[in-house]
Amino acid sequence: MKAFFSFQTLVLVGCSLFVLYLAGIPLLMLLYGSFRSAPIGEPGAAYTIQNYVKAYFDREFYFLFWNSLKYAVGTCAISFLIGTYLAWINERTNTPLKKLFMVMSLIPFIIPGILSTIAWILLLSPKIGLINLAVKGLLGLESAPFNIYSMGGMVWAEGIHLYPLVFLLMSAAFRNMDTSLEEAALTAGSSTFTTFRKVTLPLMRPAMFGVLLIMFVRGIEAFEVPALVGVPAKISVFTTKIFLAIHQFPSDFGLAGAYAVTLLVISTVGVLIYQRITRGEERYATVTGKGYRPRVIDLGLWKYVTCASAFLIFFLAVVLPVFILLWSSFIPYYGVPSAELMAKLTLANYKYILNYPLALTAFKNSFYLSVGSATLVMLLTSVIAWITVKSKLPGRIFLDNLAFIPIAMPGIVLGVSLIWVYLTLPIPIYGTIWVLLLAYITKFMPYGIRTASASMIQINKELEEASLTSGGTWFQTFRKVLLPLLMPGFVAGWIYISIISLRELSTSILLYSYNSTVLSIMAFDLWEGGQYTYVCALGVLMVLLLVAMAYTARRLGARLGIQA
Amino acid sequence: MADKRQMVQIESLEKYFGEDKERVHVLKGISLNIPEGSLYTFLGPSGCGKTTTLRCVAGLERPERGKIAIDGNPVFASGERVYVPTNKRPIGMVFQSYAIWPHMTVFQNVAYPLTIHRRPKSEIKKRVEDVLRIVGLHGLEDRPAPKLSGGQQQRVAFARALVNEPKVLLLDEPLSNLDAKLRVQMRFEIKALQRRINITTIFVTHDQSEALAISDQIAVMHAGKLIEVGTPHQLYSRPTRKFTATFLGLTNLIEGKVIEMGGDSKPGRIETKKGILSFIPATSLGRNQAAVISIRPEHIPVHKEKPQGLDNVVEGTVKEAIFMGDAYHCQIAVGDMLLAVHTHPFLNMSPGEKVYLYLDPQSCNGLPAEDTEGMDETMMGD
Repeated sequence: MKAFFSFQTLVLVGCSLFVLYLAGIPLLMLLYGSFRSAPIGEPGAAYTIQNYVKAYFDREFYFLFWNSLKYAVGTCAISFLIGTYLAWINERTNTPLKKLFMVMSLIPFIIPGILSTIAWILLLSPKIGLINLAVKGLLGLESAPFNIYSMGGMVWAEGIHLYPLVFLLMSAAFRNMDTSLEEAALTAGSSTFTTFRKVTLPLMRPAMFGVLLIMFVRGIEAFEVPALVGVPAKISVFTTKIFLAIHQFPSDFGLAGAYAVTLLVISTVGVLIYQRITRGEERYATVTGKGYRPRVIDLGLWKYVTCASAFLIFFLAVVLPVFILLWSSFIPYYGVPSAELMAKLTLANYKYILNYPLALTAFKNSFYLSVGSATLVMLLTSVIAWITVKSKLPGRIFLDNLAFIPIAMPGIVLGVSLIWVYLTLPIPIYGTIWVLLLAYITKFMPYGIRTASASMIQINKELEEASLTSGGTWFQTFRKVLLPLLMPGFVAGWIYISIISLRELSTSILLYSYNSTVLSIMAFDLWEGGQYTYVCALGVLMVLLLVAMAYTARRLGARLGIQA
Repeated sequence: MADKRQMVQIESLEKYFGEDKERVHVLKGISLNIPEGSLYTFLGPSGCGKTTTLRCVAGLERPERGKIAIDGNPVFASGERVYVPTNKRPIGMVFQSYAIWPHMTVFQNVAYPLTIHRRPKSEIKKRVEDVLRIVGLHGLEDRPAPKLSGGQQQRVAFARALVNEPKVLLLDEPLSNLDAKLRVQMRFEIKALQRRINITTIFVTHDQSEALAISDQIAVMHAGKLIEVGTPHQLYSRPTRKFTATFLGLTNLIEGKVIEMGGDSKPGRIETKKGILSFIPATSLGRNQAAVISIRPEHIPVHKEKPQGLDNVVEGTVKEAIFMGDAYHCQIAVGDMLLAVHTHPFLNMSPGEKVYLYLDPQSCNGLPAEDTEGMDETMMGD
């Protein structure tokens, strides 16, 4: 009471205002911009609904809508089927070697979307695709059996890249299910199949529906595959349409805004439904409470079939793409693996990349941005999570929701919004690395808040109170008790955010300038320039950097965290 | 007691939880004084407000109204807008979960309050060693906290609470996480420790036997109100409130109406369904008032033949007699009323047997039948 402007108040108010600024301003400016007839600074700008009229009365809009929908639903279906199947094998069956599954499923997380897209083009392109050529040769076909430049090809490339997320979420869902509920049904006399139908499935339904929605939203906001495959194939979705509206000359910011708002509405609806579902699920989870050992189903001889199928999936999703990227990075000109090319393996691509004038800038920028945004996001969200989980301050629910808003903002939409923000507000950071940093912090804040609140909830309130009753101030308590206890979650969140920052493309592509180029942009430009082998070398270096960062963070975290 | 200094003074404490419609009145004007050097227990069923009161003393909860002073210095006063934050209060606290920080060793945990106050290294080392010796954990300084047993964790929690020599030690159900045997052993240890360092201690528990065993004084609480304060002996054998009588141990209640209050060494008279009985009325009772007699099962001698020359003898039939080793626990029907009676194990009791119960007037405590109000101001003085 006596010191109103205590350090605690300052930190709490400061962080809250920062979140309000990060999440709120872009939304407002996006709406504002979509109702303007010309960008800021240009004379004669006025309020108008012309952008929406132009967007919605265009026949193309409905193709766009239909394509986006097909793309999202297809992606969702493929990733869900593969991910759930693997999760089920992993958690609930006695399939051999299943310990390897988790590791194998995590590998695709490390591969940036742009690289995985490029890998699949190199595998499934009708002319140069490795798989196409192999199948053609084996079966003596006239024409290529697969074509990546089609809706089916796009959906496959996206789905196979996204399934690890489904795998992780569904594994958790299978693991958290109280199997005594199933056992109760079995002891009540129902068969395994009836039990599955009447007990397991209804219990899993909220989790499944939630995962489907996430994948749908991921599909609708995907950028890499639509840009690299869809644009040449003339299959447009919302994200690429927005990108093109800004990249054409002259840029149509108003139209991009109108499309962006539309896309935002779709993904927001998805996220809202998802939140409603999972909220119910969490409540349910607390009722069942304890961690039960899942009942493992004995598959008999079928277990070898499930094992083989899992390895086939990993072969497709991990081994082939990684192989083609590695192969392409070591050859002087692009070609399918052959004895002739084997003799010509070279490090020239790596040398080229390392001597490429922009490469050093891009590496530095990407590194600083990824370390900076991961650290700032985790610090910021730790404070926010303390407010929303531990304090009884008024408005904490609002703050929590606010920090979560960006999850519904597709990267490209965030890009459009931030263009409006920094062309309007008198903050001279447009075109610098700072605008990218703010963009990354905004975009990844929801992931941070998730990990931070999850770890915060696990910390018994009495651990903090013990510090207060020992004479510790709020800040001392936060630094000496909470942060060390949060460390494992903090590090996990940090690793995740630094990885997704390093591969971020869809927001950066609207906000970068020559001096603030990042690695993913460089890869995009090299690809557009047709320099396939260079892109692959750059990609391999990116992945190595990611692995090194994740490894270092883990080591550091282990030193700082609890040795339990 | 009267000449002792009051270490903690609590006055008309009011506390609400929740907002708007879900607002719950959890403390309804709690006032009490805790003498220096005493072990003072807040006892009551869960939800009675005992832990909330303790947390208000610690500053972990902020009451809406009232005053709290520690050693004469106000730490909270709603009128004067005084609120000393937890970390500035001269307290040490042991939590129900012990709250031992898992990322620190025993030494780091115990040294924390001293580190916070930036004491010199040598002093910290010495004081931590001393306090660990007191709680019997000497030599375990470098043990990581997660590698401690429940009993050891509790000792660390005590050491941490005591190391900075606080004026008041706050104990929030510290025994509830231990297994039954250790719990009984720790009662004695806490009592011995408290006596040795003579620290004013507030002990919160819902376990009445724990409260009886350990306390100098007990404050019985119920539904956010203070019911009665007294020594364990007073509260058990001469409760003045029906709630105290029923909450502390087992008792039999017989309803009636006061005919005569008695006085000096003469017992009062009360009319019940079992006839007119002699009893010791509480001072708050008056003539013609509805009252209940509370009599403990172990205070009812059983006779197989009707005893001669005694008042307060009723006739009953044994319904059930369970052998407990140290006693028979019997249910005896007296008319339409069932009385719980504990008898000597050598006195063979069998169901259906006719017996005579002597309700010794000295053991019949007359209490007000209505027991909805909290403790009133006049009862506060003693």
